[in-house]
Amino acid sequence: MTAPTARRRALLTARRRGLLSTATGALWFFGPLAALVAAWAVAVRVSGVEMRVFPQVTDVLGALGDLWSSGDLFRHLGASLRRAGLGMALALVTGLPFGVALGASRVLSAFFLPLLRFSVALAGIAWIPIATLWFGYGDRAVIFIVWNAMFFALTYNAMLGVRQIPVEVLRAARSMGTGRLRMFWEVLLPGALPSIVTGLRVGLGYGWRGLVAAEIIATNAGLGYALFQAQKYFQTDVIIASMVIIGVLWLLMDRLLLAPLERRTVERWGMTGAGDR
Amino acid sequence: MTALKIDRLRKVYTDTYSGEEVTAIDDVSFSVRKGEFVSVLGPSGCGKTTVLNIVAGFVRQSGGTVVVDGRPVDGPGPDRGVVFQSHALFPWKTVLGNVVFGLRMRKVPRAERNARGEEFLKLVGLEGFAHRYPHELSGGMQQRLGVARVLANEPAVMLMDEPFASIDAQTRRRLQEDLTGIFETRRPTVFFVTHDVDEAVFLSDRIVVLSRRPSRVREIVDVALPRPRRWQEAAELPEFRRIANRVNELLGDDEGAGAGAGAGDGGARGGEAGGEPDAA
Amino acid sequence: MTSTTFSTDEKRAGRGSGRRRGARRGLAWRLWHRCLRSGAFRTLGPFVPVVALWWLLAALEVFPESFFAGPPAVVDKFGELMEKGILPGYLTDSLTRLCYGVGFGLLIGLPLGFAVAMSRVLRRACWPILLFFQAVADIAWLPIVIVWFGFSLTTVTFVIVYTIVFPLMLSVVAGVEQVPRELVRAARSLGAGRLRVFLEVIVPGALPSVAGGIRTGLGYGWRALVAAEIIVGTSGVGFMMFDARRVGDVSQVFLGMAVLGTLWYALDALILAPFERATVERWGMVRAMEADG
Repeated sequence: MTAPTARRRALLTARRRGLLSTATGALWFFGPLAALVAAWAVAVRVSGVEMRVFPQVTDVLGALGDLWSSGDLFRHLGASLRRAGLGMALALVTGLPFGVALGASRVLSAFFLPLLRFSVALAGIAWIPIATLWFGYGDRAVIFIVWNAMFFALTYNAMLGVRQIPVEVLRAARSMGTGRLRMFWEVLLPGALPSIVTGLRVGLGYGWRGLVAAEIIATNAGLGYALFQAQKYFQTDVIIASMVIIGVLWLLMDRLLLAPLERRTVERWGMTGAGDR
Repeated sequence: MTALKIDRLRKVYTDTYSGEEVTAIDDVSFSVRKGEFVSVLGPSGCGKTTVLNIVAGFVRQSGGTVVVDGRPVDGPGPDRGVVFQSHALFPWKTVLGNVVFGLRMRKVPRAERNARGEEFLKLVGLEGFAHRYPHELSGGMQQRLGVARVLANEPAVMLMDEPFASIDAQTRRRLQEDLTGIFETRRPTVFFVTHDVDEAVFLSDRIVVLSRRPSRVREIVDVALPRPRRWQEAAELPEFRRIANRVNELLGDDEGAGAGAGAGDGGARGGEAGGEPDAA
Repeated sequence: MTSTTFSTDEKRAGRGSGRRRGARRGLAWRLWHRCLRSGAFRTLGPFVPVVALWWLLAALEVFPESFFAGPPAVVDKFGELMEKGILPGYLTDSLTRLCYGVGFGLLIGLPLGFAVAMSRVLRRACWPILLFFQAVADIAWLPIVIVWFGFSLTTVTFVIVYTIVFPLMLSVVAGVEQVPRELVRAARSLGAGRLRVFLEVIVPGALPSVAGGIRTGLGYGWRALVAAEIIVGTSGVGFMMFDARRVGDVSQVFLGMAVLGTLWYALDALILAPFERATVERWGMVRAMEADG
């Protein structure tokens, strides 16, 4: 490629990232969702299904309004987010150092690899019975489930991430006299970050599901609880409203937490492509 | 004064699959004076990178000693900076962050290390790129950064492991000239591993030619070309061709002796080592 | 070309020599090393000290007995439930549901995914919808599905199908997008028609991503199965665990977890891993092409 076309392309992408593109991007994002909602409204109207089976869009909006004005929405939301946040923070604090430490040693990582694979498979929901047994029904059991679901995925991916750092980079750091603590903060952790972000995403996915399931079973507040209460009384409008909230929350979590993290680190450092080795 | 002394170096390792013991380095001894540029050259798979890895402290030798600045080598250390073929830059640090990494490890105060970092970036021609990330640089610029990162740390010896092998031919010439320029002004001690004969002759004060595995020192060739060196003039000098031919001969002999019936193949490879080695 | 390959060879040799420092440390050490290299030992070996630790913790009664069961109790329970035929029955129930779920999930997800992926407009239009449905955690569907189908096998199957379809479709779309345009162009310029390009370039090119999607989907599906069995609760391993928890039978809860873990591990080792290994090599190929292009 010649220089002028390259420059033009760079200019184009720069412009593409401008205001105009955010607008079209938003259109491409919200347009299809709006179409989906419209299709839903039409389908319910034409088929005439009962509210008992599937609610109309307006019913769901009404349910959302009721949840909002009664304050139940914030009670449930607050409870769920607090549990998710605590569980995630605990998982980060415990899983990352552990995983990186394991990855730094060839022997330890070989030893823990099968154990971790086993644990990742079990993590989260399968622990609900034992968690409620150990911690009783309530907050602590739910937080334990979220922590548990994320911990293994994080540890496993942090370990793999460290193992994927090219030998030369580790050698370069060592040959400049890097101490253990510095090695952790400045080489191993950032080097493993692409894989850690993957782990975070997988872990959050498991943790989020674990949260909903645990709330259905083990508590008297939270989105999962609200969902299940509504099922008992066949309030399909509340059920769908809660589902929409859960979906929106997850998308927000992804957009506001994971995507910026990825943009600011992995993408900025050019570590996504295959050509960095 | 001797900066690096390698004495009766030996390296035996066990093949992972067959379990056989392979002697990679049989008996290698030579030394590098302070402020001297010494290249190590040898046929394919002769273990010259292994020699470098032992000097750097990444690999432990089976016998013999390596002494840098009067201290025997025991593990990697900041007195021996390494420039890698794969650059081995930290992608998560800016250009400046990479250059001052070693200084930070030695707890040099911020103002001083940033000043020193800028100085060395300027030396390698990367001023103005301090706040970019390595992946935004071209291959040649990345390797300049690799050199600056090591030089800023002021090691007793700079070890270079085929630093220009993965860079396209034209850029490589530029980099070689710039490296000579830096060497001529700063006079660091350089231990340079390569398989490119012309490159070795152009850059070095002396060339250590290793034999085929198990490697020994075949000959140490003095390069008495005048400095400063520029490709245009240096390549014309009869002395340059004489030395290059001599080194090619030493390598070619070895190929012929080692390959036996496949002498044609060996000769071709010997010729390639002197010419253009990289698939562009 | 020769020069680059030779330099990597040399590096590998250098690296290898650093690794095997103790090659001459005698017979016992070498035998130990041979053991370490065998696959079965590597995967199963680490479980030995873990089980031993578990046993020790139980024997020393570090935790109250009603909270923590040791290996002997769990093995006894296993024998008892096998004898009564409860465990085989529940296991069959769980596996049947999983099979139905995965089967329908693949049947729906794969064609739908490729159909969406093949058109640029459709792809862009469907992407946010897919993301949203993926975001509504599968387990959140349970209540409404219970309203529709009651506490039945259909409910559980529906949820599993749901968990698998969306990650699968997302990964198919992402995979098709990853296929380098040069490859498609090359195939077109060699005279391949649309169908051929689809079958011989796009499908294999997207396969690595699809394999990843199947793994993610199964990981979620597996959890959804357990959750659904706990909540819907008529039979299955998840039900067994929760039922045991209700009556406070710790050893049965532990047994359930051991069974679930082992089952997933077998599934992973026998089906998922070989499939991925076959495609990971392709992945390497696809990656190399991208880097060149």
